[in-house]
Amino acid sequence: MVVVMKEKAADAEVEAVIANLVGMGMDVHRSTGAERIVLGVVGGGKVDPRLIELMPGVHEVLRITQPYKLASRTFKPEDTIITIGDLRIGGDEVIVIAGPCSAESETQVHATAAAVKRAGAKILRGGAFKPRSSPYSFQGMGEQGLQLLREGSNAHDLKLVTEVMDANQIDLIGKYADIYQVGARNMQNFTLLRELGRARKPVLLKRGLAATMEEWLMSAEYILSGGNKDVILCERGIRTFETFTRNTLDLSCIPIVKELSHLPIFVDPSHGMGRRDKVAPMARAAVAAGADGLIIEVHNDPDHALSDGAQSMFPAQFDRLMAELRIIAPAIGRSICLEPVARRGWAR
Amino acid sequence: MAAELSSLDALREEIDKIDEVIVRLLDSRARAAYAIGRLKHELGRPVYEPQREAAVLAHVRKVNESLGGPLTGDMIARFYERIMDEMRRIQRIEAERDANKNNEEQITKNEG
Repeated sequence: MVVVMKEKAADAEVEAVIANLVGMGMDVHRSTGAERIVLGVVGGGKVDPRLIELMPGVHEVLRITQPYKLASRTFKPEDTIITIGDLRIGGDEVIVIAGPCSAESETQVHATAAAVKRAGAKILRGGAFKPRSSPYSFQGMGEQGLQLLREGSNAHDLKLVTEVMDANQIDLIGKYADIYQVGARNMQNFTLLRELGRARKPVLLKRGLAATMEEWLMSAEYILSGGNKDVILCERGIRTFETFTRNTLDLSCIPIVKELSHLPIFVDPSHGMGRRDKVAPMARAAVAAGADGLIIEVHNDPDHALSDGAQSMFPAQFDRLMAELRIIAPAIGRSICLEPVARRGWAR
Repeated sequence: MAAELSSLDALREEIDKIDEVIVRLLDSRARAAYAIGRLKHELGRPVYEPQREAAVLAHVRKVNESLGGPLTGDMIARFYERIMDEMRRIQRIEAERDANKNNEEQITKNEG
């Protein structure tokens, strides 16, 4: 911590700050500059920076360590790799999650699962409980939807990720899903995060619409501190003044979070952009920027989707995107489902 | 050229000798500060005593001024800020060790 004193801070004010810090077991390094005094504070004591900032004569207090510990790279320098069966998330391979916004029918789930598997996705996405902005919009199929999604992913050898909206859904969803998804609106639902810390399945934690990277990592810390070490971060767009897109997809968070944390980071270009014609460019950019994976909405018949049809890709568009990603990933030393499933067997 | 180089070497040798003296003096100063720390602890006085630090700074500024060398008062004060930071640290660590020892004694006493 660095305490910067005001330009005209009185000696007594500086002394009071030093006395306070020393009293809390800290070592203080006082540097007297031409205009102001700066105190370097190190040591094992616990100090609330805000209390120091309130003291007379203090200009500002700068923290130099992060408030999150388990999520930080200082704590764990090597990348976290999450293993689900034979799938490795956070390794060299870029993992693509794809599927519909919501489970709507058996035909829809199966047709979409088959299409995304063919294109090279490894995990099926799909909601059964939907946190819609309007209470009058389609709210999801509930447990019946979970059953359809599980059957769809089993039939096409895909893992399954689905959203958990409330702590009381954890057990039920855990019966069907391989990965719990925490939606952007629940990023700071600390009761839910705490309960997921006790769960023994990976959690895909979406960034809140107005959350800073630090707040996002603090939410991950909640899950990690409960003993669940398998957290995947997912950027899905944040709120800015721009109205052209649904949200502003903040790809700048990829290299920053990669430096601050060891956790894998995914990007959801579908929610960030809100329109399917803008999803592919951002998906390509995310992989180029170093994302460990993508989560993309694909629907077998987007025009008749019950939710988020406008941002869902047609299977053919998704196929084309995957082909492009197969060219981009190797340029930065990553792989991405090298063999398209449809060609396995006759391409060799 | 050779003359300049040999005088550079000679000056560096002189610096090394001066450093030896400085380190010995810092060692003596640290020993004294340590003894003061123990006394402060017995007297129940705080590790950080701003009036005393201010007096030390005023004293060294005065001594420096009488020498008339290239060091300004602010420069010598900054050196001493660092020296006092480290001396305070010695006293703090000692005070903590005592506090822990007292705690342990208290615990053993309670358990006994």
